Amino acid sequence: MAAVQHTFKPYPSLSLLPSSQSTFCGTKFITSVQYKRKVCQPKGALNVMASSKKILVMGGTRFIGIFLSRLLVEEGHQVTLFTRGKAPVTQPLPGESDEAYNAFKSKILHLKGDRKDYDFVRSSLAAEGFDVVYDINGREAEEVEPIIDALPNLEQYIYCSSAGVYLKSDLLPHREIDAVDPKSRHKGKLETESLLESKGVNYTSIRPVYIYGPLNYNPVEEWFFHRLKAGRPIPIPNSGLQITQLGHVKDLATAFIKVLGNAKASKQVYNISGDRYVTFDGLARACAKAGGFPEPELIHYNPKEFDFGKKKAFPFRDQHFFASVEKAKEELGIVPEYSLVEGLTDSYNLDFGRGTFRKAADFTTDDIILGKSLVLS
Amino acid sequence: MATLVSSSLLSTNYLSPPSLSPHLSQSLSSLSLSPTSQFSSISLSSSSRNVSLSSFTVKAASAASENNKKKNVLIVNANSGAHAIIGFDLAKELLGLGHHVTVFTVDHQTSDNMKKPPFTRFSEIVEGGGKTVWGDVDAVGSVLEGLKFDIVLDNNGKDLDAVKPVADWAKSSGAERFLFISSAGIYVPTEQPPHVEGDIVNAKAGHVAVEKYISEVFENWTSFRPQYMIGSGNNKDCEEWFFDRIVRGRPVPIPGSGMQLTNISHVRDLSSMLIKAIDNPTVANGKIFNCVADRAVTLDGMAKLCAQVAGLPVKIVHYDPQSVGIDGKKAFPFRNMHFYAEPRAAKDLLGWKCTTNLPEDLKERYEEYVKIGRDKKDVKFDLDDKILEYLKVSVAV
Repeated sequence: MAAVQHTFKPYPSLSLLPSSQSTFCGTKFITSVQYKRKVCQPKGALNVMASSKKILVMGGTRFIGIFLSRLLVEEGHQVTLFTRGKAPVTQPLPGESDEAYNAFKSKILHLKGDRKDYDFVRSSLAAEGFDVVYDINGREAEEVEPIIDALPNLEQYIYCSSAGVYLKSDLLPHREIDAVDPKSRHKGKLETESLLESKGVNYTSIRPVYIYGPLNYNPVEEWFFHRLKAGRPIPIPNSGLQITQLGHVKDLATAFIKVLGNAKASKQVYNISGDRYVTFDGLARACAKAGGFPEPELIHYNPKEFDFGKKKAFPFRDQHFFASVEKAKEELGIVPEYSLVEGLTDSYNLDFGRGTFRKAADFTTDDIILGKSLVLS
Repeated sequence: MATLVSSSLLSTNYLSPPSLSPHLSQSLSSLSLSPTSQFSSISLSSSSRNVSLSSFTVKAASAASENNKKKNVLIVNANSGAHAIIGFDLAKELLGLGHHVTVFTVDHQTSDNMKKPPFTRFSEIVEGGGKTVWGDVDAVGSVLEGLKFDIVLDNNGKDLDAVKPVADWAKSSGAERFLFISSAGIYVPTEQPPHVEGDIVNAKAGHVAVEKYISEVFENWTSFRPQYMIGSGNNKDCEEWFFDRIVRGRPVPIPGSGMQLTNISHVRDLSSMLIKAIDNPTVANGKIFNCVADRAVTLDGMAKLCAQVAGLPVKIVHYDPQSVGIDGKKAFPFRNMHFYAEPRAAKDLLGWKCTTNLPEDLKERYEEYVKIGRDKKDVKFDLDDKILEYLKVSVAV
């Protein structure tokens, strides 16, 4: 067992309350549970926000958790992030005021450890006791067991699963009742959901599709932005009519908040993503719009004609992949705020457009494709 | 087309006299006009004005209707085409619920069009207590002279030429509501499916002009935008197009990539949505509903599902209609593009639920296909052969 230390940031003696009007980095962000647009509220969906909870977030320092933890702190909960400490526990968001960041930073607690060190997980969690667990980075079912064992009085286990669990189908969109694929790349998520169900825990599982937004470490929008900025054509496999779906990270964080303490969400699974789908071609054009780039040149190619080695030539699955978000809307009144172009613009303005990105541009596969295209033409 | 007064008027399809029908008087006497009633708009057909008792907006998360009064419904139906089945199925459903239904088909009763389903089964409407009549759109007034309907539903036309006469007569005869079967085909193609109510439509489309007209003329109107339907009594082939090829061991030629999404609904879902709207006049007023299933199927997927229910293999071949040099519309019954609307308004506002389950529904469709002997019918595959020739695909005889 690796020696790990757990450090807790002490409670501040003076709490700096964030401004109640705190807008998230100058973009639209809901700081309390309310809807900006007229939505259909199912009867009895009024979610009376629970009193302050002691909340553990597994992960929380990379992407989803950054936004979620801010919301939780703003809601008045006591939030502890369980991470190895490889990434900074907190980081200011682009455009966030010093005041807001410091308020957040002073409140967040850190439990440093390796979640795969199950003994440590059991002991440290049992020692602390938490009301609610948000499991943002769990991949395998066995990672969840020690957490559940350590917290017998756990009120709710909120799990970030994935729509990747759905069995590929010609009938779309995917719905929560659909068949899942026990052999998919995401089978660990599926096994985790099954474990939660079998353990009788009050769980809620959220299945996002593709997540995007500022600080995305998965090169989704970034992949397009690199090419648009470089003025390069955008190579898209096959017809470009494949349909996918993006969900803004802030909408996802909001959804995570809305299921907290919500009895209707008990032992339920919800697809969470944008309320429109998009073709590959359409996504390329939407990214161009978001970044203020001219309409891009799209090159379609047959991936079978190329050998890219280990490199990925395109960041999306080459198939239709989209899910209905109706269940969350009908049952919990969860409606995404961002349209695709709005969300991509938010991502561009707060991240790539400022010169920040996670992966450097790599046009190797593009050049392979374009090289062959040039030869053929 | 000359005005025709159907001979059936004089026989079994006797139309009610202008005075209140016995049914209507009965329901009036059983009406309880309670001011504390939660539901709005109890309309008295004998007067020329609606008497609205309250104006609660009924949030349709519950399945309760705004009122349970039986209604006098006129369906003006097309004489052919993909939409013909809608009027047929709706008529039967309404009759089953105790409503009074008259179906006015825009044609001669003896025309060749009437020798195809669903018209060949119009006796089912009569047996259900409904009335069937025929005539030109301009004859609506004379054929139905003196009659008054609570609801006029037009399922006959795609432009003002076809629908305006019906709408004008409905207005002048005092119909309280006008329902129109429009089309989801009017949505402007998008790279961000699905088509949702409120999205931009093609301003030049005939259906759009009709929707605009009825919104101006009627105080209470609703428009429904369907896509494709399956169901017994269908006038235009849908799943049959695939069965024709699959049972004969022929390749199924599909234009483009085969990944195009489409929406194929069982007609019973259209009827249930129409009835939900009929039962909720306040909620449905001024609204547009995508009258479709809540799932898309890819074109390839539809071929595979048809093959599955037939228990036969399928060979799908893709082609580009332009390269082959054929008219895509004649060669294939679906649009060669993503064409997918979702029924969000119906779910949100009417509490409507979709029951279409293609893998299951197609089983029943295939059974009927075989039962009526279509698998043995002699079918021409001229365009298919042209495509296959171009692709150099052989057909096993």
